[in-house]
Amino acid sequence: MTPGKKRLSYSYYPGCSLHASGREYDISTRALFKALNVGLKEVPDWFCCGATPAHNVDELLSLSLCAKNLSLAEEVEGDLAVACAACFSRLKTTQHHLKEDDTKRKQVEVAIDGPAALNKPVKHILEILAREYGLAKLEESVKKPLMGLKVAPYYGCLLTRPPGVPELDDCEDPSIMEDVLRALGAEPVKWSHRMECCGANFTLSRPGVVLKLSNAILESARIAGADCIMVACPLCHGNLDIRQKEIKEAFGAPDSTLFGNIFGSELHGGSAPDQRDLPIFYVTQLAALAMGVASESLGFESVITDPKPLLRDKQLL
Amino acid sequence: MKNKLMHLSNETMNIGFVKKVEALSGSSVRRCFQCGKCSAGCPMSTFMEHPPNRVVRLLQLGQGQRILAGRSIWYCASCETCTTRCPNKVDLAAIMDALRKLSWDADGPSKESYVQLANRLFIENIRTYGRQYELRLGAAFNMKSGQFLKDLMLGPKLISKGKLKMFHSKNKNIAEIEGIFKRIEEMRKKGEAL
Repeated sequence: MTPGKKRLSYSYYPGCSLHASGREYDISTRALFKALNVGLKEVPDWFCCGATPAHNVDELLSLSLCAKNLSLAEEVEGDLAVACAACFSRLKTTQHHLKEDDTKRKQVEVAIDGPAALNKPVKHILEILAREYGLAKLEESVKKPLMGLKVAPYYGCLLTRPPGVPELDDCEDPSIMEDVLRALGAEPVKWSHRMECCGANFTLSRPGVVLKLSNAILESARIAGADCIMVACPLCHGNLDIRQKEIKEAFGAPDSTLFGNIFGSELHGGSAPDQRDLPIFYVTQLAALAMGVASESLGFESVITDPKPLLRDKQLL
Repeated sequence: MKNKLMHLSNETMNIGFVKKVEALSGSSVRRCFQCGKCSAGCPMSTFMEHPPNRVVRLLQLGQGQRILAGRSIWYCASCETCTTRCPNKVDLAAIMDALRKLSWDADGPSKESYVQLANRLFIENIRTYGRQYELRLGAAFNMKSGQFLKDLMLGPKLISKGKLKMFHSKNKNIAEIEGIFKRIEEMRKKGEAL
């Protein structure tokens, strides 16, 4: 879909999480696209992409599930918009592998009992906002700039890696989230953990892993002086938001590192350890908020770490 | 296994296994020169008895069984940091996938069962419902792993927030999805796919 006079319009693969644990990502994506007057039409009968568990143990199954979903997407016009970072990664990986490997493509075509449709461009929401809709136009469309909101942009693992596959941004030093945040009037902070793993799907099998990794991410964001974290993946959101209270209970001891002592007290005008709640926002929630969409239609009621006090404090509600 | 001398001979080195790993992953293990960048960036290496670079070294030495016997491969988060940073283009994330598949197919002797259980239930969920039924996934995991109280307080909270659905309907095209699973099984039976 070329930007220009024609109205942008996309087919849409929400993914399983967006229909349940990440429902606010779906709600805010739809609200944002409506506010920007960009079309979004859900692929009929889409099903699970297999995510990490499928490719973990059965690559052929993973490729086949994604290839079938890609051919379902052919029924809807427009490039395929994907919000979940894991679905995005799997669908892009499938296109990439099957274009390169004839043997695998033939096996997948037997499995899905039809030709593999590999040419529909798959685009992440961030890409659509920053490149297709465009940063300049995005900035123009802002009705309520997110002034004074310090945001830690969190990329996680799968948005940019491995090299050459997601084609979203530089795989080690991306800037697309920072660019979008600046266009919305917010202030992206520089921090150390923007591309570290949150523990992802270990939340089911080994939650201890998630507590440790996600604690490091939250701590790093606090040290950098962020008010909140912005994510583009429902698993990252789940781990940082749903488990935030548990993480605090597990690692609640005062931060005795030099870093914690200096920055923790400086930022909060006291000696208390930095244990601020950090609301976790989806990129679409922040963007829609800046576009003037009513906060009631952004799914904030589903979030565990309540973002409303922060938004009220910054006069964004 | 720790601190025990490793004797390398035709008997102790399983080169056939290494070739299988290379075929499945599409990546060579021989290109690795042990710089250790993969392990330095690995968020999970503290949970592994063999960090990523040692997994590759063990493969180079034909010691696949030592890897499968441990839990390292099941503690890989598939974050792709290793693959991204390897100066020799060893696709370690794909090698980990291949190792897990070989362990999985052989009903491997790994110490790590929870991750395997979670994977199995996740895949079963696709076959039964099409889309993930998260409540069932969590409940089945607790039942089958014997951790009846795990995240018990979280469930009701997530349901009240609308994050977990009590009821979930199957996809209309569930027969087509079943077809994918069936045809892959048939291909493997006939030896047409790995």
